[in-house]
Amino acid sequence: MNAPLFPSILISCPCSDNVGQQRSRRSKTAAADPDLDQWEEEGETFDPRSPRSAFSLFPLENLLFCEDCNQVRCPRCVQDEIACYFCPSCLFEVPSSTVKSEGNRCTRNCFSCPICFAALAVTATGEDQTGPFILLCAHCLWSTSDIGITFEKPTSITAQLTAKLKAASLPPSNSLAPPESSHSRPLSPLSQGSSVYNFRPNSPIPPPAPTDEAEFARLKGYYHQQNTIASSDDFGGAGSLSRLMGMYSTGRRIGSYGTGNMPKLVKQKQEWQEIESYRVMDSEDEVIEKMKKAGFYGATSQSQRIIQSHQPRLLEDVRPLAALLRTKRAKRCRSCRHILVKPEQKVGSIRYRIRLVAGLDHNAVNYFSLQPLATHQFLLTVTNPLYDVINITLATPEKTPGKYPATVYILCPEFEVGASTDVWDEALGPEAKPKAKAAKGRKTGLAGTIWDSGRNWTSVILEIVPPHLPDDVELEEDDFIVKVPILVRSVYESDVDKDDGIGKDIKEKKEHSYWSVLEVGRIGKKVAGKVGFDDSASAGTGVAVNKALPPTPSGEPREREHRDREHRSSSRSHRESAGAAR
Amino acid sequence: MPPKQVKGEYIETDTGNKVSRKSNILGSQNIILGGKTIIQADCTIRGDLRRSGAPGQHGNVAIAVGRYCFFARSSVLRPPGKVSRGAFSFYPMKLGDHVFIGEGAVVEAAMVGSFVHIGAGAVIGKFAIIKDCVRIEEGTVVAPNTVIPPFSRVAGRPGVVVEELPETAQDSLELKGIYRMI
Ligand SMILES: [Zn+2]
Ligand SMILES: [Zn+2]
Ligand SMILES: [Zn+2]
Ligand SMILES: [Zn+2]
Repeated sequence: MNAPLFPSILISCPCSDNVGQQRSRRSKTAAADPDLDQWEEEGETFDPRSPRSAFSLFPLENLLFCEDCNQVRCPRCVQDEIACYFCPSCLFEVPSSTVKSEGNRCTRNCFSCPICFAALAVTATGEDQTGPFILLCAHCLWSTSDIGITFEKPTSITAQLTAKLKAASLPPSNSLAPPESSHSRPLSPLSQGSSVYNFRPNSPIPPPAPTDEAEFARLKGYYHQQNTIASSDDFGGAGSLSRLMGMYSTGRRIGSYGTGNMPKLVKQKQEWQEIESYRVMDSEDEVIEKMKKAGFYGATSQSQRIIQSHQPRLLEDVRPLAALLRTKRAKRCRSCRHILVKPEQKVGSIRYRIRLVAGLDHNAVNYFSLQPLATHQFLLTVTNPLYDVINITLATPEKTPGKYPATVYILCPEFEVGASTDVWDEALGPEAKPKAKAAKGRKTGLAGTIWDSGRNWTSVILEIVPPHLPDDVELEEDDFIVKVPILVRSVYESDVDKDDGIGKDIKEKKEHSYWSVLEVGRIGKKVAGKVGFDDSASAGTGVAVNKALPPTPSGEPREREHRDREHRSSSRSHRESAGAAR
Repeated sequence: MPPKQVKGEYIETDTGNKVSRKSNILGSQNIILGGKTIIQADCTIRGDLRRSGAPGQHGNVAIAVGRYCFFARSSVLRPPGKVSRGAFSFYPMKLGDHVFIGEGAVVEAAMVGSFVHIGAGAVIGKFAIIKDCVRIEEGTVVAPNTVIPPFSRVAGRPGVVVEELPETAQDSLELKGIYRMI
């Protein structure tokens, strides 16, 4: 995404080697090969600088949580299921049957500019909004009239464009061939034993090489016909595809269908055989000559060329790009197949019927420079999205892994975070807040005490002393970044599912732990004469964090502004936003 | 009810809007603010550019803004206009809730959904439609008449969708926190 913002937190998903395997199984693997899952073992520190780590660290916002597996799920260990297709431009839903038959592009009037890729708008060129109409790019002012195409009516542009392109591009000898003849012409001459066709230079009367479009249209027509034949026999439409496949598989099975035309079709063997069908390329002299004439400004750029299906070299050959469809997807846990995310079917809706997200976090913080050998204090805030009180234990190595270790110290590694009871409590103001337990040590900054706590969040101080980097050694960019691995272990009691009907108020103890990596900041140059901001562990002035918020001209800085990181306990943040997503 | 802060940068309205005294708001009778919206200094909001002729079914509203929006310094909101049936007319602009408009951004969209972040210096062309949960990066130029679908990250000149946003996008795009800070 963007330039790195500090501090940022990344959560490790343990799936990188064993997607969807049970824990016991994983430890077995770890025993067999201790290098693979070493951080799984007790007492081992997750090394954020290890090359393997890049594959397992994800920002919180990209993670989901599977309640059944009690495990974080990253994009790699969830499975996408397409809920619906829609056009990103007209926002119409496209039925999957249409996607199968018409392809994955919008068949309405949605096109983007072949030059700058902005959206094209149907624009009238005549007086009083009358035709002819063109597709006009409002960004670079390219229009279809630049390639000599105008439309008679402002609707069904796709059909009009297809007809016009067909008429313009196909040479008469090729396009006007009757459909029957196109079927009898073998797609793959080698399979028919006629090797003459492909060797144009030797052929006395060279048949025109089919353009990709013509070839595609012919194939499409052929398979469509096959499908129709297959579905029109005794067995009806259902399972026509399997019978279609059967037709090609073995001669033995064909007899069982008993339709007269089957053997003939098989004999013709018109399906595409990629390996055998090749074409001798046209001489490029003509294209090169054209490019010479058009000059640099008449030729397509690489991105303009590759996005087009026919890869034109010249700007005069580009075509408007039909909008690619987008999908809404449900996401399943690959391990237990439970649905983690299920969007509403409606295209414009941003609501989810089911949503189990791992955490909610997006406090962008400005580029942050660390002073070597000075003590920096950060407030680490754990927010609890659950309806149960959780106990958090944070563990971090005294020295961070890497060539130049920083010293890390969490003043209060064990604490409790209140339940996310009712949103109204917060709305009603501080009076309605349940009295925070562990009020002891409020903002004292003493070891063993929390900094501050609220309804469902608790802040603790994290002290970091960045190393002094040698001046005479060539350093990599990565060496400048202080990365602190933190093992977060949360224990909470939650109600057991009352499926059996007996258990009332039975609480089940759940435990969950994961490695996270806090990228605190970049080590800057040591400023002479200045040792640090604040060596004493008092008042959070050491937290020199500048939130990336729009300039706030006035207003008292609140305690919350000092929080460098709002780290919601990434564990099973359970959110079933059934409707009320807001 | 008199404004709470008589002195200071912002005037707070009954519905909790905080409008900078240094902002430049024209035709305020044609602007609807849903509440808890912050308008910073040097913002220009052209409520005077309303549909010509008699008030139609939408009345005189030129710009309708939802709740918890944030218009940073020097941003410009301008209803889009075009020639239709031989006469030039402006069309109303509608903004949803939790819309962030960055410093110096110029917005001429017909519609901006909820949970939309428009980065600093971005330009949103006339009659653009931006759906919910969209992040438009700094300096993006969205061409006129563009439709941006939900859960998109838009960047470039012209702005095109470069990435899909995760399911959690709505949470990261909400602006209640910012409102509390001002
Ligand atoms: Zn994973
Ligand atoms: Zn479309
Ligand atoms: Zn263009
Ligand atoms: Zn699962």
